[in-house]
Amino acid sequence: MRLIHRAAGVAAAAALAAAATACSSGTTSSGAAAAPGQPQQGGTVTQAWVGATPNFIFPYAPATNTDGYNVNLTVPLWPPLSSDGEGGQSIVNPQESLYSSLAYSNRNKTVTMTLKPWKWSDGAPITSRDLTFTYNLLKANYQNWINYIPGTFPTDVASVAVKDAHTVVISLTQPTSPDFFADDVLNNVQLIPQHAWDKESATGPAGDYDETPAGAKAVYDFLQKQGSQISSFTTSPLWKVVDGPWTLSQFNNDGTVYGYVPNKNYSGPVKPRLATVVNQSFTTDTALLDALRAGSSLQVAGLPLNDLNQAAQLKAEGYLTTPVPIPGVAGIQLNLYNAQVGAVFRQLYLRQAMEELINRPQLVSKVYSGYADPGNGPVPVAAFPSWASPLEKAGGPYPYSPSAAVALLKSHGWKVAPGGVSTCQAPGTGPSQCGAGIAAGQPLAFQLAYSSGRATTDEQNAAIQSSEAQAGIKLTLKPEPFNTLIGNTGVCTAKSHAQNCGWQMVEFGYNPYALYPADNGNFATGGNSNNGGYSDPKTDALISATLQGSDPQAFFQYEDYVARQLPWLWLPLREGIEVYKGNLGGFAPLNPFSSGIDFQAWYYTK
Amino acid sequence: MSGYLARRAGQAIVVVIGVMIVTFILIHLEPGSVARSILGIRATSDRIAIFNAAYGLNQPLYRQLISYVVQVAHGNLGTSYYLQQPVSGLFAQRLPRDLLLLGASTVLALLISLPMGIYQAVRRGGLTDNVLGAASFTLYCMPAFWIAVMLVALLAVQSHVFLPEAPAGASVGSMLAQPRALALPVLTLTLVQVSGFSRYMRSAAIDVLAQDFLRVVRAKGLPERLILSRHVLRNALLPVVTIVGLSLPGLVTGAIVVEEVFNYQGMGLLFFDAATHRDFPVLLGSTLIVGVATVVGSLLADIGYALLDPRIRYASR
Repeated sequence: MRLIHRAAGVAAAAALAAAATACSSGTTSSGAAAAPGQPQQGGTVTQAWVGATPNFIFPYAPATNTDGYNVNLTVPLWPPLSSDGEGGQSIVNPQESLYSSLAYSNRNKTVTMTLKPWKWSDGAPITSRDLTFTYNLLKANYQNWINYIPGTFPTDVASVAVKDAHTVVISLTQPTSPDFFADDVLNNVQLIPQHAWDKESATGPAGDYDETPAGAKAVYDFLQKQGSQISSFTTSPLWKVVDGPWTLSQFNNDGTVYGYVPNKNYSGPVKPRLATVVNQSFTTDTALLDALRAGSSLQVAGLPLNDLNQAAQLKAEGYLTTPVPIPGVAGIQLNLYNAQVGAVFRQLYLRQAMEELINRPQLVSKVYSGYADPGNGPVPVAAFPSWASPLEKAGGPYPYSPSAAVALLKSHGWKVAPGGVSTCQAPGTGPSQCGAGIAAGQPLAFQLAYSSGRATTDEQNAAIQSSEAQAGIKLTLKPEPFNTLIGNTGVCTAKSHAQNCGWQMVEFGYNPYALYPADNGNFATGGNSNNGGYSDPKTDALISATLQGSDPQAFFQYEDYVARQLPWLWLPLREGIEVYKGNLGGFAPLNPFSSGIDFQAWYYTK
Repeated sequence: MSGYLARRAGQAIVVVIGVMIVTFILIHLEPGSVARSILGIRATSDRIAIFNAAYGLNQPLYRQLISYVVQVAHGNLGTSYYLQQPVSGLFAQRLPRDLLLLGASTVLALLISLPMGIYQAVRRGGLTDNVLGAASFTLYCMPAFWIAVMLVALLAVQSHVFLPEAPAGASVGSMLAQPRALALPVLTLTLVQVSGFSRYMRSAAIDVLAQDFLRVVRAKGLPERLILSRHVLRNALLPVVTIVGLSLPGLVTGAIVVEEVFNYQGMGLLFFDAATHRDFPVLLGSTLIVGVATVVGSLLADIGYALLDPRIRYASR
C-alpha cells in the first residue's frame, strides 16, 4: 500500500484544518453512517472552518507566506501530480493522480512519468511541457517556495527531459524511494498551465520565458505578485485556467468566505455533483458551535472535543459525527543544549524515565475521551496503521511504569524525592552515575512551555506534571500563545546556540506529520523542526535508508529506533470530531489528508 | 475657537507621532524571533533570512524606525506579516464593519439611556428608579461575553428568532441587508453601553434638577416636559458627551469579545490576532489609528461642550 503524504504547506493546512474541521481517517472512523438514498445532482454545501482565511492563489506561495489554508484553496483548482486519499484510505489515489504511470530505473535514479491525456479547463491538453514549466519555475525559485524540502525536489533533479507529449524522464542526482517520491515529492507539486501562465506581465503574451533561469524568475515573480491580489482571484484570466474539478466562483475580500463551482471540463474520473461549495471561516469554534446549534445552513464543520456533549443536540439538528485523526505527531521537545538542563536531557535513561511516567493510555481515555492517537512513537498509529511498526502498535517501547522510572533514576545516582525534587548525588560518567555534564545536586526541575488556549492540552499537561512528580521530577507549566511559543523557541544545537535557547521543554500541540522522516525534519541532524538539537548518526543513517530503498523494514527500523531513542517524549494526539449533515453522501469515511477539500465526491441524497 | 482648534490639531500631530515611535520601539523590544514566530516551527534559516530581508528586519532598529516613519508619512502602513495583505486594505475592510456595529449600538444606547437617566432622576428614589437602577447595575456587572452568550442561547439557539453569527457580507450595505444576523451583536453592545450611559445621565440630571435656575424656569410657567428637554437634558449632557467622545477610539479598536462570539470580522479581532501572531505592521497601524481616534474624540468632546454650553469658550491662546 502506498501512503500519501501532504507536504509542508498541505500538512500545515490539514493540521490546522483538523483542529477545526477536516482531515480524518476512514480507517478508524466510527459513528459515521453513510447517507442513504440516491445521489442527487446540484445543491450547495457550506463548510465551516475556524480561522481559515487563505490569501494566496498561485499554488507556489513565497517563503514568507505561511498561511496553510492556501493549499486548501488551490488544491481543488490545481491538484498535485500525486493525488491524496481514496475514500477513507490514506493512499495515493491513482484515478485522480495526473500521471498514468511512474517507472523507476537506473537504481531508482531515473523516473519516467507518463501524464494522463487530460485537459485544462480552457480545452488545452495537459502535456509534458506543463511539467517542465512547473519544474523550471521551481528549480529557479526553490528558495522562495514555501514547501521546498531541503535536499530534495527540485534541487536533487539533474534534468527533466521530454520524451513525448505526455512522457517526461526525470533524472535524479541520488536514488529515491518510490514511495517517498510519490508520497512526499509529487504530492507537493501542483501542475500549472504553461500555455496560460508562462508570462512576465499581465498584458504580455505567453511564451517560453521559463526556459532560462532569469526568465523563470521573472515569470515566478509575476505569478506570485498576481497570486496575492485578492480582489482578482475570481476575475483574473490566469486563475480561470484549472485542471482540478472546481473553479473559484467567489472570494470575499478577507478570505473568510470563498466558494467553488464545478469545472465543466474536468477530465478526472469523479465529476462534481454539487452545484456550489462554500467555505466559511469562523473566528472561534464557539461561534461555529453556536451556528450549528442554532440550525444554521452549515453542512460540514468541526466539533471541539470539549463540546462532545453537544453531539446529541446536533444530531437533533440533523448532523452526524465522525472522529478525525490528525496527521501529526505529538510530543514534548527537549532542549538538549539548554545551558541549565541540556546535559540532563542528553541522558537517554533520563528521557526514558520521564516517558515511563507519562500515562498515555489514561490521557487518551480521560483527557481525550478515547478520541486520540496513542502517541507511542514517531508514526501516528491511528492515521497510518499500515506504517506503524508492531512495536508502536503494541504500545511503544516505554509503557507507563512509575516504579521502573524511579528504579532507573536511582540506578543512575539520583536521590529520588517523590513529590519533591530529585537531585543528582553521584555525578560522573560511570554506568551508575548521573552522566556527563551533570553536577552533584543538579535538580530534576524543568519548565514545560506549551501552546495555550485548548482545555484538553491544559488537562494533559497538568496530568503529566502530576505523574512526573511521582519520581521527584518537578515540571513548571508555562502556557503561551502558539506564535509566542514558536518565537521564543530557538533552534539549539551543540554547534550553534541560537538567540532563544532559554527554553527547556516545549509542547506545540503537534508537528504536522510527513510520512518520511526526511520531510518532517523532526529528528534528522539539522532538520528544520529539530529544535532541541537531537543529533545521532545512526538515526540519520536510518532516515537516509528510508529515502533510498523500497524495503518497508527500513522504515520500521527507523521508526522503532527513534521510538526508543526518545528525541521527544511521545504524547497522545487528539482527534477532531467532524459533524456533517445526514443527507450528505460521499463525505465519510474520511482520510487524514484530502478530507475537507475532496468535495467532488460529495453529493446530496434524496 | 479656530485658534484653539489649530493648537489642538498641532498637539494631536505631536501626540500621534509620539505614540507611533514609542509603540514601535516597545514592540521591537519584545524578545523572540518575529520571523520564526510567523514562519512556524519548520522555518529554515534560508526562509528566515528571506523573511527578514523582505520586511527590513535585518536592519538596525533605528533604520527600521526611520523607514517606518517615512513609509507612514507617504500613507503606507506596510504589509501584514501574517495575512500578507496591505495593512491599509485590511483596515478598509474592517473599519466600516466596526463603525456600523459600534456606531449603531452607541446611538441605540444613547437613545435608550438618555431618557432613561432623566426619567430616573425625576423619579429619584421611586419604584421605577429602583427597578431601572437595579437593571442597570445588573447589566453593568455582566461581562459582555456573558450577555452575548445568553442572547445567543435564548434568541438564536432556543427560539431561532435571530441568527447567532454576524452577517458575512464584505460591505456595510450587504450587512445591513441581513438584520437578523446583525441584531444580536448590536443588541449586546447596546445593553453593555446603556448601563453606563444611563447611570451617568441620571447623576448629571439629578445635579441639574437641584440647580436654582430651574426654579426660575418653573416660575416662568414653562411646562415640565419642556423644562426637561430644553434645560435639564442639555445641561446634563455634558458628562455624557465626554464619555461618548472618549469612546470614539472604541469605534476603531472594535469589540473583541463580541466580534469573537458572533464571528464578526472586525478591527478588534484583527488587533488581537496581530498581537498573538506578532504581526508588527498591523499592531503599529492599529495603534496609530487608535491614537488618532483618541485625539479626535477628545477634540470632538471639547467642541460638543462649547455647543451645549454657551458659557464655555476656548481662548485662542
